[in-house]
Amino acid sequence: MARISLTGIQKKWGEFWGVRDVNIDIADEEFVVFLGPSGCGKTTTMRMIAGLEEPTEGEVHMDGELMNDVDARDRDVAMVFQGYALYPNMTIYENIRFPLRMRGVPKSEQNRQVRSAAALVELTDFLDRKPAALSGGQRQRAALARAIVRKPQAFLMDEPLSNLDAKLRQAMRVQIKHIQRELKITTVYVTHDQIEAMTLADRIVIMDGGLIQQIGTPDEIYNDPSSTFVAGFIGSPPMNLVEGVLAGGTFEAPGFRVDALPVAHSGKVKLGFRPEDCTIGGDAPQVSGTVYGIEPTGDITYVSLRAGEKLVEIKTDRDYRADLGNRESVTLDTRRLCLFDAATGTRLR
Amino acid sequence: MAKVRKSRAASLIVRYLILGAWAVVCLAPTLWFLSIGLRPRVEIITPQPIYWPTWSLDAWWKLWEQWPMAKYLRNSVAAIFGSVLIDLLLAIPAAYSLSRYEYRGRDDIGFYILSTRMMAPAIVAIPIFFLFKNLQLLDTIWALMIVFAAINLSIVTWIIRSYMLDIPKELEDAAKTDGASDLRILWEIIVPAILPGIITAAVIAMIFAINEFLFTLLIASTPDAYTLSVALANFTAGTDGVIYNSIALVAFIAFTPVFLVVIAIQRHLSRGLTMGAVKG
Ligand SMILES: Nc1ncnc2c1ncn2[C@@H]1O[C@H](COP(=O)(O)OP(=O)(O)OP(=O)(O)O)[C@@H](O)[C@H]1O
Ligand SMILES: [Mg+2]
Repeated sequence: MARISLTGIQKKWGEFWGVRDVNIDIADEEFVVFLGPSGCGKTTTMRMIAGLEEPTEGEVHMDGELMNDVDARDRDVAMVFQGYALYPNMTIYENIRFPLRMRGVPKSEQNRQVRSAAALVELTDFLDRKPAALSGGQRQRAALARAIVRKPQAFLMDEPLSNLDAKLRQAMRVQIKHIQRELKITTVYVTHDQIEAMTLADRIVIMDGGLIQQIGTPDEIYNDPSSTFVAGFIGSPPMNLVEGVLAGGTFEAPGFRVDALPVAHSGKVKLGFRPEDCTIGGDAPQVSGTVYGIEPTGDITYVSLRAGEKLVEIKTDRDYRADLGNRESVTLDTRRLCLFDAATGTRLR
Repeated sequence: MAKVRKSRAASLIVRYLILGAWAVVCLAPTLWFLSIGLRPRVEIITPQPIYWPTWSLDAWWKLWEQWPMAKYLRNSVAAIFGSVLIDLLLAIPAAYSLSRYEYRGRDDIGFYILSTRMMAPAIVAIPIFFLFKNLQLLDTIWALMIVFAAINLSIVTWIIRSYMLDIPKELEDAAKTDGASDLRILWEIIVPAILPGIITAAVIAMIFAINEFLFTLLIASTPDAYTLSVALANFTAGTDGVIYNSIALVAFIAFTPVFLVVIAIQRHLSRGLTMGAVKG
């Protein structure tokens, strides 16, 4: 429904930087997920989009219009708050109806919309209760229903599923995505959960320390991380990062020797490879080490290999078994390797 | 196990003993008052202790015959409820402003409001007398209403403010993004959420107003504006000397509604209502 663009957004409290510098253009109907460690400024950024927090510097535009001086209530966004923020004196029904009532939706419409939103989050049986009489997950779903009950310019969702069990989370994720696609409403979504980010997002924004580390589609973020931070943040287990020396296209570290790297760089670097981008054995293995641990998960087996001083994680066949301490060699998929500057963590290309 | 149970029982007994003793300390004067009010005059002024009192409603009937009790009661109720109403109408928006908006001098204003409570009332007694005289409000319940309201405004504001501070800011943020105006947020979200606090503040203001004496004495010079507490002072005059049993009865009458109200709202005096609004 609306394009949202943030330019040079900063938020400072006294000397403390909540958000240092955020620039992003969110397209109309786009689903953008903010992902980052706790305290990196996700909520603060979202609150600035909503108009609940005034940026210290920078501009918020919606559909090309400067919004800095527009009051939160006139921005027409619907927000799911991290702490739910349900109105304690109202029943769930009244909570979900509140935004409709405030925006003058006709009475007959209100009832229909409240019931359909409640049905989507599976709360139909709890409409008469007060928030205090609901479980954490039910409260969270009520907060979600209150946001999706109307058709705003944008949805802002701050970890809307964090308190749900895995099964419900999966179901709600599908609902959210479906609603977003159907209503075509620009959505900004904050989460800690990578799976949520990967499955929901058109684009993922990785934040750290009040700065955007990378913006990209889930594939780009996963396959082409721009820094060691992003590489180590995404994926479970995350990308293996091995420090070593690069000279003449050859990377060397204790237990590692990788030839013919297409990078004209030399010096200390970090080699990154995902656990699934390597195979045990092979004719010309580049890694050798000893088996440190084995974790069968059913569909796949994780092997921890000790190469030099470093423990690397490898995803392998579910039938793989070995004794601890066995020598093992590994072949890397060189097309998928990433090299990073050892000091700055930035990607070398 | 048996030992544990025994010591628990013992501690329970001790607890009840302490609470019982405390209840006696609290209730004894009240009951004594009541007994004075319900006995004939001769009996309560004899120096000998009387173990088996005779009960009589003399004082009760005398009260209604000799004094315009209905008027006193009406004055009290009107002045007290009026003042509490004024207090709430002023204090709720004031407390909202003090707890929510950031502006220069906010804390100073807050402290100033509270400091009015620290002053000895006698200091302002004379100016207030002349103020009301010039306003030609002396000897009216309007004056009492205003004075009671003024006396209690600070405490009511502070109590309500402290409850408002406990309300998570996210709640208002949510209401704002939902499109509610400030006034709506105040009346539909904040006030219901802090209702226990508002009731607490109102009850406290009521108690202070019932007990107010100095200003009432100053303002009220005829039964037109006498409240129960000042009427009491007049029971010392007249041909009968000090009519202790009537005083005791009136004191009891003044005390009972407060007592009942406090018991009735005890549940609300706890701060439980905001529970469930936010996580955890
Ligand atoms: N009102 C405030 N005053 C001062 N500092 C604040 C304020 N609000 C947030 N911060 C700080 O700003 C930083 C960013 O906070 P924010 O809530 O945006 O983090 P977040 O990324 O949402 O974290 P989480 O994932 O834990 O919710 C934090 O270090 C926080 O302590
Ligand atoms: Mg947050």
